Amino acid sequence: MTERNRVVRRFEWRLGRLLIAATYIATTLLGIGVVQMLLAGISPLAGGPELDLGRVVADLLALAPAGFLWLGLLAVIATPVSRVIGAAVGFIRGGEPVMALVAGAILLVIAAGVVSAVATG
Amino acid sequence: MLVGGAAAGVFGSLLGLGGGVLIVPLLTLGFGLDLRAAVGVSLVAVIVTSSASAGVYLERNIANLRLGMTLELFTAMGALVGGLVAFLIEERVLAFLFAILLGYVAVSMIRSRAGTADPADAPIEDDDAEAAPATESESPLDELDRHRSRILRRLSGDDYEVRNLGRAVVGSTGAGVLSALLGIGGGIIKVPLMHLAMGVPIRVATATSNLMIGITASASAVIYLLRGEIDPFVAGPTAIGVFVGASFGSRVAHRIDLKILRALFVAVLLYTAAQMLLKALS
Repeated sequence: MTERNRVVRRFEWRLGRLLIAATYIATTLLGIGVVQMLLAGISPLAGGPELDLGRVVADLLALAPAGFLWLGLLAVIATPVSRVIGAAVGFIRGGEPVMALVAGAILLVIAAGVVSAVATG
Repeated sequence: MLVGGAAAGVFGSLLGLGGGVLIVPLLTLGFGLDLRAAVGVSLVAVIVTSSASAGVYLERNIANLRLGMTLELFTAMGALVGGLVAFLIEERVLAFLFAILLGYVAVSMIRSRAGTADPADAPIEDDDAEAAPATESESPLDELDRHRSRILRRLSGDDYEVRNLGRAVVGSTGAGVLSALLGIGGGIIKVPLMHLAMGVPIRVATATSNLMIGITASASAVIYLLRGEIDPFVAGPTAIGVFVGASFGSRVAHRIDLKILRALFVAVLLYTAAQMLLKALS
């Protein structure tokens, strides 16, 4: 195995570990919320509250299930984007500007999609 | 929801799908949720499947990160275009076209199984990377060909060579458009595309697809989140089930026979094609 391949493998291994750690954190938060739901006897079909960042903090402090569930869901949704950012940083550090540009372009396209969705309602 | 999510997670992780193909029918038919709410939860489940399994696949160097990122760029662009034109095309027409596409892919996979061996082992007949002989007076086209060959080599794995990047770019863009229009993860298109057209081994194709689908799904999930279409009480238990299933699936994937993996994939393709055809005719 060449030195370049070894560097690539190490980088992918680290990225994989980061991804696993982020997923565990997100699902732990969701797990706490689900256990709280079960303990409180809340049915999944009861209809949960809409996302309100101010209320999420209050729910977390009050140990209410919705707070943990929303924090977990936000972490879940942010994980793939953070993976692309992590990959971009890794490519820059590994001297692969083209792949770093590809990662940056993915982030730009995602941002453009969100902006257009918000703008068009 | 936990059990259904776990089943979808195992299945999605093994086949490089997000599991949305199972979760949407589970939530709409099994729990009476409306379609939009089910799609919102399904997107969260797709991300969980992708993150849980892609981490393991990356750690074990099964997924091809460079190939995944390159194709994902075009999928994301396709998804953006699809999102903008989503309301201009009748859904039934799309569903019919999609059913035909899935049927074609399933037949191609069956034929490839009946044929020699893994398409990844086939001799390279690259339509966009023919090695150009170096001549004294080199034209810009020769230089372009060599540049393409360099890109393909960089995207290839240790024991396989990627080919037909042009077709893959077109296919990935199409997968992104369909993903946004039909609310699917896109793995059902990307896996056969990488395996059949690009010569990527099926195990690498499913692992790389797992890496890609999470990124596309997270872009769509943000939109659902902003529009208040994700219910935390439904998404929580479903996501936990999917996480357990996907973690298990990605750890046993290497022990599963490739023929079984491919047969499972063909079965999912045919099932989804039938569902789409019914949707088009209803």
